[in-house]
Amino acid sequence: MSGAANLVAWLNLAAAGDAPAFRSLYDATSAKLFGIILRILHERGEAEDVLQEVYTTVWRKAAEFDASRASPVTWMATIARNRAIDRLRSRASRPSSPLEAAADVRDERATAEDLMVAGDEARRVTAALAQLDTRHAAAIRSTYFEGLTYEALAEREGVPVGTLKSWVRRGLIRMKGELSA
Amino acid sequence: MTDDLTPRPPELPDDEALALDYALGALDREARLAAQLRLARDPAFRAEVEGWQATLAPLDDEITGVAPPASLWDRIAAETMPSGAPRFVAAAPARPSLWSSLGLWRGLAMASVAAVAVLLAVRPAPEPQAQLLVATLASDKGAALLTATYDASRGAVILTPAGKAQADGRTPELWVIEGDNPPRSLGTIDIDAPESHTIPAERLKGLKPGSTLAISLEPAGGSKTGAPTGPVVATGKLTGI
Repeated sequence: MSGAANLVAWLNLAAAGDAPAFRSLYDATSAKLFGIILRILHERGEAEDVLQEVYTTVWRKAAEFDASRASPVTWMATIARNRAIDRLRSRASRPSSPLEAAADVRDERATAEDLMVAGDEARRVTAALAQLDTRHAAAIRSTYFEGLTYEALAEREGVPVGTLKSWVRRGLIRMKGELSA
Repeated sequence: MTDDLTPRPPELPDDEALALDYALGALDREARLAAQLRLARDPAFRAEVEGWQATLAPLDDEITGVAPPASLWDRIAAETMPSGAPRFVAAAPARPSLWSSLGLWRGLAMASVAAVAVLLAVRPAPEPQAQLLVATLASDKGAALLTATYDASRGAVILTPAGKAQADGRTPELWVIEGDNPPRSLGTIDIDAPESHTIPAERLKGLKPGSTLAISLEPAGGSKTGAPTGPVVATGKLTGI
């Protein structure tokens, strides 16, 4: 709990121009955000550019952070994910080889180690996903972690786009239902 | 893949589907741009998106963190804090002599309360030139316990807990010391509560740079004498920005 609370304090201080607090915030969160961005973009140099954009944005928009609307980590991770996806979409075409796709698919399963370090909330979400059809859960993970469009994932999985959308949307609504049950 | 004849799930209205698709990151470039434009002007849609973002966010824990190269911080610092134009003046620690003379520093139970950081921003909304005041309250070690920010729309300072304090049944109370005057109470606060606390604007009147803020642990309900009676767990000086 003190982790998230520290982030709130640092964000509030950064909003007032406190450079040391901003550095603390960076040290505590940059590996996580870089991991999220790299997962979407793969290319390291591009991911570094995006990470720089993300923290510049966090510094400038720290005063807009509203603890009643999002946790500090979710707020920052959302900025990172969105910037990475924006960058991905602005590419003419995404380099993708069968080998890379195969590696991605294997990555989508949470390992036991992942789950040990994950928080309670993450365990609940993972458990809720595990209730779904395996292919539906995998489609949700692929869109979320890799930033793939429905169209790109449908092509990769060899299913109609409408079918894939249906899997993902129905799956997420069921997942949300499990979480609030 | 051209076969797209499967209908949308009938139970999900278009707007909600769009919010879900956007939060998940599944929209193509054009649809994504349209959703972003809508986010900026449609609070209900934004709330829907934020709901899905919060639902999905715990999945981020499954992603292995990757430390960025050390040079990246230098790039960020160069862009956000150009040298020669520091935006922040670090708040000086409170003068120990002041509190020593008040007899409050002795016998403090500091182990349970490691540090308190308070940011106190006083800026009346209608005056663009109004002064911004910041205080960092800290003891000598540990994590931040508390942060405070000024909410112009409510005309008050909001204190947000940033750590865990062991008040042992006592009530934390916030004080300000202006010049040689005795400490003036800004009211009791609840360091442990997850919600924000608000200090009415009238209590904040007259806060100036150089004033010292302090938090002491008082009997339930706060000090009965009008002066701090319990251990002082953190202090710091207000600094103008």
